[in-house]
Amino acid sequence: MGQQAIALLFILFFITRLILQKRRGALSGPAFVFWLSFWLIAGLLVVFIRSIDRIVSAAGFSSSGINVLLYLAVAWLFYLSVKLNIKISVLDKNITILTRALSERRGPDEPKPDL
Amino acid sequence: MAKQGKISAVIPAWCEAESLGRVVAAVRKYVQEVIVVDDGSGDQTAAVARAAGAVVIRHLVNRGQGAALETGRRLALRRGADVIVHFDADDQFCAAEIPSVCLPIMAGEADIVFGSRFLGKPANIPWMKKMLLIPLAHLVNLLLFGRTLSDPQCGFRALSRRTAQAIVISQDGMAHCSEIIGLAFGGRWRIKEVAVTVHYHHYGQKFSGGVKIFSDLIKARLFNG
Repeated sequence: MGQQAIALLFILFFITRLILQKRRGALSGPAFVFWLSFWLIAGLLVVFIRSIDRIVSAAGFSSSGINVLLYLAVAWLFYLSVKLNIKISVLDKNITILTRALSERRGPDEPKPDL
Repeated sequence: MAKQGKISAVIPAWCEAESLGRVVAAVRKYVQEVIVVDDGSGDQTAAVARAAGAVVIRHLVNRGQGAALETGRRLALRRGADVIVHFDADDQFCAAEIPSVCLPIMAGEADIVFGSRFLGKPANIPWMKKMLLIPLAHLVNLLLFGRTLSDPQCGFRALSRRTAQAIVISQDGMAHCSEIIGLAFGGRWRIKEVAVTVHYHHYGQKFSGGVKIFSDLIKARLFNG
């Protein structure tokens, strides 16, 4: 119960930071909705952790609900990391294409004539 | 019978103002045209290359040796090169060996010629490179392409026009060496290796660079098909 309260306080803190950032204009509308949904879902999972324990146990897992949530969170982070990596690779390739196109549009400098 | 043709040297260069003038002057004796790709240098690389007699094309930002070679390949083909020679800007190779590297192509015996630092000519290769990085590069080439060469990471090579038209370099960084070898084997081009001399003036590629090459090749295999 105490741990749940602490976790909820943390989530509340992050939500207030989120609202502040939105008011300052540092977050776009869709980003605000995404992160707000994320923290609200996290809050709901913390509130209903006992029910999740029962569901996990009924599904035949030996771990507690919080462990399963942690495993899922780690898997999700790995997925995000791979996605980010792909995105950076594509951006990198596109920067090269643009750099080359600019170089070719400008054209080469011919050598200085021999004196 | 060797045929005549325009030989263009492509030299990728990033912040090489110190050695590039010497290299361009030396290479010019053996080719019809020297193309220097200034890969976003912050020094006088472009000016030095031009003054030494090279055609210079500039990247606004640094994109890596592979990207520079690809820009050079495209320019050399547009300017009518019959043979394209890849040569390093840091004065580690011997320009006088360009004719022997190009000869198998001019004689119609090969489509692509790779220089090799391990075929008997003098090479002061650092111990770490020789004992760890090169064997690792062999392993990577064998794993990814099923084939390797006596020197899997040499930057001195020559390509016929037809081969250069087919071998498009997509690896922007240092993984282009392995990529070119893989494409040469995959395209069933006639491959030849020629002994070249190397004089290292500085260490060059570090172990972390080797790891980056491996990860770039794996990424390309996983994400680009």
